[in-house]
Amino acid sequence: MKSFEFFAAKDSNDALTLLAQHAANAKVKIIAGGTDLLADLKFAAHGPDVVVDISRADDLKNITITEQGLSIGALVTHTQIMRSPLIRQMFPALVAAAHTIGAVQTRNLGTLGGNLVTAVPSMDSGPTLMALEAMVTIAGNGGRRQVPLSEFFVGPRKTILKPDELLVDIIIPEQNLGKPTHFLKFGLRKGQALALVNVAASVWVDWEKHAFLAPRIALGAVAPKVIRAPQAEAYLEGRTISPEAMAEAGRIAVGDAKPISDFRASAEYRRHLVAVLTKRALESAWALAQTRRLEGSNGKRNA
Amino acid sequence: MVNVTLKVNGETRSASVPPETTLLRLLRDQFNLTGAKLGCDVGDCGACTVIVDSKPVNSCLMLVGQVEGREVLTIEGLANADHLHPLQKLFEHFGSLQCGFCGPGVIISAKALLDENPDPSTEEIRDALGGNLCRCTGYTKMIEAIKGASCILRGEEVPAVKSA
Repeated sequence: MKSFEFFAAKDSNDALTLLAQHAANAKVKIIAGGTDLLADLKFAAHGPDVVVDISRADDLKNITITEQGLSIGALVTHTQIMRSPLIRQMFPALVAAAHTIGAVQTRNLGTLGGNLVTAVPSMDSGPTLMALEAMVTIAGNGGRRQVPLSEFFVGPRKTILKPDELLVDIIIPEQNLGKPTHFLKFGLRKGQALALVNVAASVWVDWEKHAFLAPRIALGAVAPKVIRAPQAEAYLEGRTISPEAMAEAGRIAVGDAKPISDFRASAEYRRHLVAVLTKRALESAWALAQTRRLEGSNGKRNA
Repeated sequence: MVNVTLKVNGETRSASVPPETTLLRLLRDQFNLTGAKLGCDVGDCGACTVIVDSKPVNSCLMLVGQVEGREVLTIEGLANADHLHPLQKLFEHFGSLQCGFCGPGVIISAKALLDENPDPSTEEIRDALGGNLCRCTGYTKMIEAIKGASCILRGEEVPAVKSA
């Protein structure tokens, strides 16, 4: 690894100060869990001049309900997501997604924020959060801004973050708390596999009309970034729930995807997976909606 | 250079090393603790697994600056020449290792699992070893040994395992 100057930030404000000091005239990288960054730096021809370590910024490690919704700090690890009683109750899909990332060792180090900032199209944290219309909070030295996660990603390994900015938290909006959601990943092995395709679906249900409300479908590894499937969503909106409708939505979602062929899978195979996984994710989200209705639970805390 | 002080296997240790040094390099090159192995160096193989503040991690993926003040347990801290940890005894008993390169990482992962979950299922053991690549054994004998060690640590007898 090329040498660099190392600074450890005490908290997020300290990190912003360090970024303000160095980002203007040096190449700065932020390290959180380091599971992606260090693996990259060991092979990089040109490393950063400065590394700012935020792994001790405890103010970015909270999982809390705020006025806006469920806030997950950028430094929350995948292991913490899997063990959070709040997340387990509201969003088992987030727990399932976290469980498919790497292995125990990497889940103990790797953070939700890091997974998003790295912006690999096959990331497993992205689809569930996109299907829940998550927002992200970005702090810079000019203040804070919030954008939808869908606008945070620019392309493979590219986000809208500026060199002196920090991802602070991820917010699942209040109106989506407890929304029945399901995540599915298709990899070539059970452990430590990257997704050939991953899909998340979330649905509300109009029980009187037996119809889908606000169906949201997000697809990973089939475009330069995690994407929504707008045509499939539009098809399902207000539509009577049936196995045929969910299968058709899967077929329509194929048209929303733009997969490429690479050494892991052909584009054709990925298109097939989009149809199958979208259908299954919808079926499971619908099943969860029914279970919660029977239990009289809306998936929210204390409900 | 970065000055780092941390607890390794219960002892306070210090070193002054370049900031790009990983915890794994610190353990091996500065402290002569060569139990944790340098395998892939990118967090895939798990041969470098150590426990940091009660959690198993890839020591190749932490910078020294990130372990300042933390508590690290390596395979060398698990036992001494006179006293083996039950996991080590049963790995020996069952012949759970062949070439042995993955062994320290596997045993540390198993120790972290049993610390949190004293009676794991086969599925839970497989999940806990998902980040430890072994190309010799096929894992079966490791799983038997970990189950056996969990019995000993719970104060129960090790059930007889039918030998192949």
